[in-house]
Amino acid sequence: MTLPESTFENLRLELRRGCLTLAVLAQLRREHYGYTLRKDLADHGLVIDESTLYPLLRRLEAQGLLSSEWREEDKRNKRFYKLSADGEALLGQLLQEWQTINAAITSIL
Amino acid sequence: MELLDRYLQAVRKHLPWQRQDDIIAELRANLEAQLEEKEEALGRPLTPAEAEEWIKSLGSPVQMAAHYQPQQYLIGPAIYPVYMYILRLSSMWAIVIYVLVSTITLVLSSTANGQAVAEAAFRLPWVLIQVAAWVTAVFAAIEYVALRHPEKCPPPVAAFYAKWSPRDLPPLERPAEQGKKRRTYAHAVAEIIFGFIFLGWLLVISRHPFLVFGPGAAILHASPFRPAPVLWTCYWLLVGLNAFELAWKCINLLRGTWQTPDRYRHIVMKFLGLVPVVFMVTVPNHVYVLLRHPEADAARYGPTLDSINQGAHMVVLLMCTIVTLQLVWEVGKMVVESARGQAIAK
Repeated sequence: MTLPESTFENLRLELRRGCLTLAVLAQLRREHYGYTLRKDLADHGLVIDESTLYPLLRRLEAQGLLSSEWREEDKRNKRFYKLSADGEALLGQLLQEWQTINAAITSIL
Repeated sequence: MELLDRYLQAVRKHLPWQRQDDIIAELRANLEAQLEEKEEALGRPLTPAEAEEWIKSLGSPVQMAAHYQPQQYLIGPAIYPVYMYILRLSSMWAIVIYVLVSTITLVLSSTANGQAVAEAAFRLPWVLIQVAAWVTAVFAAIEYVALRHPEKCPPPVAAFYAKWSPRDLPPLERPAEQGKKRRTYAHAVAEIIFGFIFLGWLLVISRHPFLVFGPGAAILHASPFRPAPVLWTCYWLLVGLNAFELAWKCINLLRGTWQTPDRYRHIVMKFLGLVPVVFMVTVPNHVYVLLRHPEADAARYGPTLDSINQGAHMVVLLMCTIVTLQLVWEVGKMVVESARGQAIAK
């Protein structure tokens, strides 16, 4: 019996969800606004929908992990995000966790 | 681009009003930058078809706006198990309290009849729906507040789970006795459904005797005999017994203990079953049936009446003996099994 495609899709999304947050936090060690961040992540092979990334930035900022400011660039007002001090500490912990999981999975495989 | 303006306008309508301007300004800046880059790469503005395709790829306005909202559940996974537990507990107590209050009210009421009892029984599902609605509303409110003010509302389940102790775990369920099938959930539910149907039938027959006697009900109605008031007292005792057993089964089902062998219930019900039988045995002068018109019919039907009452008394006496012997047998069996279990444990 073949599994329905939705099973793979659900598990894939579940697997990606945490990784995306980690990637966004890591990428925001350098200041970005929404669109350039999306482009940078895509250049690294991590394509994220607009409807996922932009609200995610808001949520991370509300949690105190990012700080933001409105600034004019190329004659357009843009909201720039950067990792906050709390975000930086949390990113360190998350990366450590990620490396532990990665090493475990690699050794299992 | 007009299409982008229309899209953002549609998204705005689904956003929380306090943050609409801020979110739309940011979204516009990001999407315009994206559009500019697309057009720069093409060396021309997007055609209407390309623009439509691009806007479509962003997702519907409702979807886009929904991502900006906190993930809201009516009752989220964190408190759902507690909700189910409280729902079961409150339904169980609602049944107990409702059955008790209704029984007391009916017993004290001078106008209580079969119809009043049937109405009380058929009102129970509505009482349960109301209880479920209130519990759901309270938990939905907790979920709503916990999501928006997490600092003021610590996870309510944490305290609930902290009280848990392995010592409180129920004992292992006994396997089904040899040659007997294991009791299933469907079996327990079917018993309750048939219990309600039987109780309903029992309540209705007082007003519609043809449901018991069929066409014979008309003959009985026309006969010179009528039931003595003690038969009605016995009838209400039987109704009460059935309601009590049904409530017990409902509680077992709601508590999740429907699978465990329920010997205590069996013995308690056998014991309570003795109450109407003993009551019938002790009726003064063994009068179960009376004459409708004693003055006119005493001479003609008097001897028949005596025979009927004596016969009824013998039947009741026989029933009392059988039920008593069954009770003694059940209690004896339980005592022997308990002693055997203790001996094995030693």
